[in-house]
Amino acid sequence: MKQRQGLIALAFLAPALVCLAVLRIVPAISAVVESFYTESLLRGGRVFAGLGNYTDLLSNKDFRQSVGVTLLFTVLVNPIQVVVSFLLAVLFTQRAAGAKLWRTLVILPIATPPAVSAVIWSVIYRPDGLANGVLERLGLPAQPFLTSSSQVLPSLIVMLSWIGVGYWMLFLIAGIQEVPEEVREAALLDGAGPWRRMISVVLPLVRRPLAFVLVADTVSNLLVFAPVQILTKGGPNGNSNLLMYDVYTRAYAIGDIHVAQAEVVILVALTLAIVAGQFRLLRGDQ
Amino acid sequence: MKRASLSVLGGAVGILFFLPLLWVVTNSLRPGSETFANLSPLSWQTFLELRPTLTNYSALLNSAIGRATLNSILVSAATVVIGLAVCATAAFGLAAFQFRGRGLVFGIVVLSFLVPFDAIAIPLSTMFRDWHLTNTFAGLVLPGIGNGMAIFLLRQFFLGIPAELVEAGRLDGLGWFGVFRWIYLPLSKPALIGAGLMLFLFQWQAYVWPLLIGTDAKHILGPVALSNLQGQNFTDYGLVFAGAVVLTVIPLVVIAGFQRYFVQSVSSTGLK
Amino acid sequence: MRRNLFALPAVAIAAALLLAGCGGSSGDSSGSGATADPGPETGTITFTGTDNAETYQPVIKAFEAKNPGIKVTYTQIPFDQFNATMQQRLSAKDTGIDVYTVDEPRVSQLAAKGFLTDLSDLDAKVKTSFSATAYKTNRFRDKLWSLPMWNSTQFLFYNKTALAKAKVTPPTADPEQRWTWEQVEAAGRKAMQSGGTKYGLFMEQPEAYYQLQPLAESLGGGSGIEGDDALTPAVETDGWKKAMQWYGATFASGLSPRGIGGFQTGPVFAAGDVAFFVGGPWDLKIFGSSKVDWGVAPMPYFQGGKPVTPTGSWSLGINPASKQQGMARKFVEFATLDPAGNLVTTSTTTIIPANLEAQKQYTPQMDKFSGAKTAGAAAITTYESEHTAVSRPVSVGYIQFEEVMGKAFADIRNGTDPNTRLQEATRQLTDAWKSIK
Repeated sequence: MKQRQGLIALAFLAPALVCLAVLRIVPAISAVVESFYTESLLRGGRVFAGLGNYTDLLSNKDFRQSVGVTLLFTVLVNPIQVVVSFLLAVLFTQRAAGAKLWRTLVILPIATPPAVSAVIWSVIYRPDGLANGVLERLGLPAQPFLTSSSQVLPSLIVMLSWIGVGYWMLFLIAGIQEVPEEVREAALLDGAGPWRRMISVVLPLVRRPLAFVLVADTVSNLLVFAPVQILTKGGPNGNSNLLMYDVYTRAYAIGDIHVAQAEVVILVALTLAIVAGQFRLLRGDQ
Repeated sequence: MKRASLSVLGGAVGILFFLPLLWVVTNSLRPGSETFANLSPLSWQTFLELRPTLTNYSALLNSAIGRATLNSILVSAATVVIGLAVCATAAFGLAAFQFRGRGLVFGIVVLSFLVPFDAIAIPLSTMFRDWHLTNTFAGLVLPGIGNGMAIFLLRQFFLGIPAELVEAGRLDGLGWFGVFRWIYLPLSKPALIGAGLMLFLFQWQAYVWPLLIGTDAKHILGPVALSNLQGQNFTDYGLVFAGAVVLTVIPLVVIAGFQRYFVQSVSSTGLK
Repeated sequence: MRRNLFALPAVAIAAALLLAGCGGSSGDSSGSGATADPGPETGTITFTGTDNAETYQPVIKAFEAKNPGIKVTYTQIPFDQFNATMQQRLSAKDTGIDVYTVDEPRVSQLAAKGFLTDLSDLDAKVKTSFSATAYKTNRFRDKLWSLPMWNSTQFLFYNKTALAKAKVTPPTADPEQRWTWEQVEAAGRKAMQSGGTKYGLFMEQPEAYYQLQPLAESLGGGSGIEGDDALTPAVETDGWKKAMQWYGATFASGLSPRGIGGFQTGPVFAAGDVAFFVGGPWDLKIFGSSKVDWGVAPMPYFQGGKPVTPTGSWSLGINPASKQQGMARKFVEFATLDPAGNLVTTSTTTIIPANLEAQKQYTPQMDKFSGAKTAGAAAITTYESEHTAVSRPVSVGYIQFEEVMGKAFADIRNGTDPNTRLQEATRQLTDAWKSIK
């Protein structure tokens, strides 16, 4: 019986597995292979380098800093985005006037061309830009944002959250809609601390979508590079030099494909470790 | 009372998210020379224009944006339709059956979306060249179809469908495809829309890939045409923003159009 | 040339490969134009570049009229992806590219990788038709690989109204009476105090090597690259240190603004917010629509140093994999060596033609690009091209160099100590070039 089930399952899975194998896994394997090679002047052409590219990377100060920045970024951005998306999802599933319109506006940034999003935020963060304009109105001192080593990462996190939280909220809304409406209504209208009730009632019921959002958001954030490329180029002093941006620069700007692929392998290994940790955490939760 | 304050809160959040985009829309209605003129000090003119002009939009007519938008719609639509079929069946295979190796298959699915597409685009484009897929619509659509993240998403939702429903369906004489088609799909509309949006956005924002496989003017996609609006020494942001508005309006229509399906769910169909 | 906000400075692969040819055994990788099969006499050739299609319509039209039976199709690739895309397609021997635009500092890499057809048989002609700097940058290992199409230079733009308000006599357009950076700084501060501008001085590309190389070169600091192989960093010379000390201080003191980059720099001048602005010939027309009254002067130099200005732009090259070498050559020669053909490449864009004959006809017009405001631009252009132009260094490691220096400039601008940052840049360059050496 179990074997028959396996065959039927395989039939359903086959088209996707073929696509994933051909369009993702095979080029990924070729990337791993390339990471063990190098172009050498002395020995001529492409030669096997063993772990040479990896040891070169690990002994490079800038690369080690980049790993640190990426980990710090991951630890900060994901909890923030998941919590905000969840709160927004709860807010926008209430029966309130205009909820559909407002939530469409929150989703909209993900549909904006990324190059244009970056222009918008470069204008917001300019010294004479919109953010400092607001601070000035509030009587607060102007901030350096992207030109400061300590503010650059938080500034990028705010920008990426503007783009992303609406999108992740969408999947949580889909999950919350599965919760019977009476349960949600009851939770909301129950006198004291409706928000807390709401969260304590709804949260356990949207565990699976939440797991998806946590993992997918983490992976997406580890692959961020366009805003860094356009806004900060990894600076000031490497404090926004995320790994994927470093990979992108190496592969596309400098064209050092072998070291770039070694860096991708390290990035994927790092992602895998984090995601595996998350799966374990979620399972332990049950 | 509570509802009213929720409306106000929701409205405030919505407007806050929209303000940066309002700035783009406003400046698409101004000459490019004035884009950065009203930044400081902050005033209502920063976000509103009383004498809007459509010159930027009429200038777009001379660019490739029109054709590129149509191509992007074509490529994205094909990807969503084919991709949803492929991903939903796979998610069903992972969620509805118990079999040896299920964990392994799921692992492959997860791994496939951990690998950054931009990192494998270079070797993949070499493969596409060998297969004579350069400069074709098929070459543009294909990379969007197998989307591990969409499979993961749908699997998460499919796991929530009670086993009793499936058993009942089987007893009624439904085959496995029938279970998929008549039980799983109708109960997962919000998740399917989410997965569809994911597939759509992958293609709608495709930029590096179309260039790597050498697409010509006939096959040009939206983001490439938008980027082509910028010069090397100077960029007319009025024009670029007008192009950006055009490229944002289409996903907006799609998202807004599908909003009503979000109300429909297991609970409202009374099956749970 | 101007780097775009959305831009990755460039591409081209592992420079190690580039040098593979100079290991001795393999020799030159690319085919020679003289011996290659010229292919059919008529048909359609493709031309790939990064400017919009209108830019090249006039030259294509003129070429087609002169060469019945040959058609040219132009394909535009966005600037930020241009080098990456070309790298990938050229290494795949894509026959869909016949002629393409080549960024001059990249000629050596492209040639070493075998991505350019050898055009050495035109060497003598090129030597006499273009400036010595242009001729030199298109050569690598004693061969000629591409033909210069355009040239560039830089001007000092000044806000007339603000300077008058601050009671500062503006600089003249006469290159012999060129201002020093010290003069510009003092005048800029006066304009901030009583001329009504927010800033005193601003560079159009505040983090680009193209515009900052002249600062160091003016103080005798060199290009930053030295050695027989042009792979030894030399960015810690006194000239570089002094230039960067001064440059960093302009931001620390508020003379120049931090945090504004990309295409947002020009509008700062156009809006009247800065007294002095260093920009290219394209600005002669762009600023024409500004409400500010302005004028042009030669690019400044450091007191006690020598005047140095940037130069260089795009060349045209032929893909060795092209099956239509003959037609491709005809087009490249027409657009560069033929003065009329070269001149017409600049008819819809504000850039200087590289062909000396075409330049002679072109430059006088520059005085009238924005009425009286641009008076003197022509004489400056001619003078700089003959006396002060210094091109970017020819090195197979130029891409890494530009990348590393761009980040260093950005950090110095944001307040990092110049001396330590240049030391850091030396380390990064040594690291990046290790694999090439």
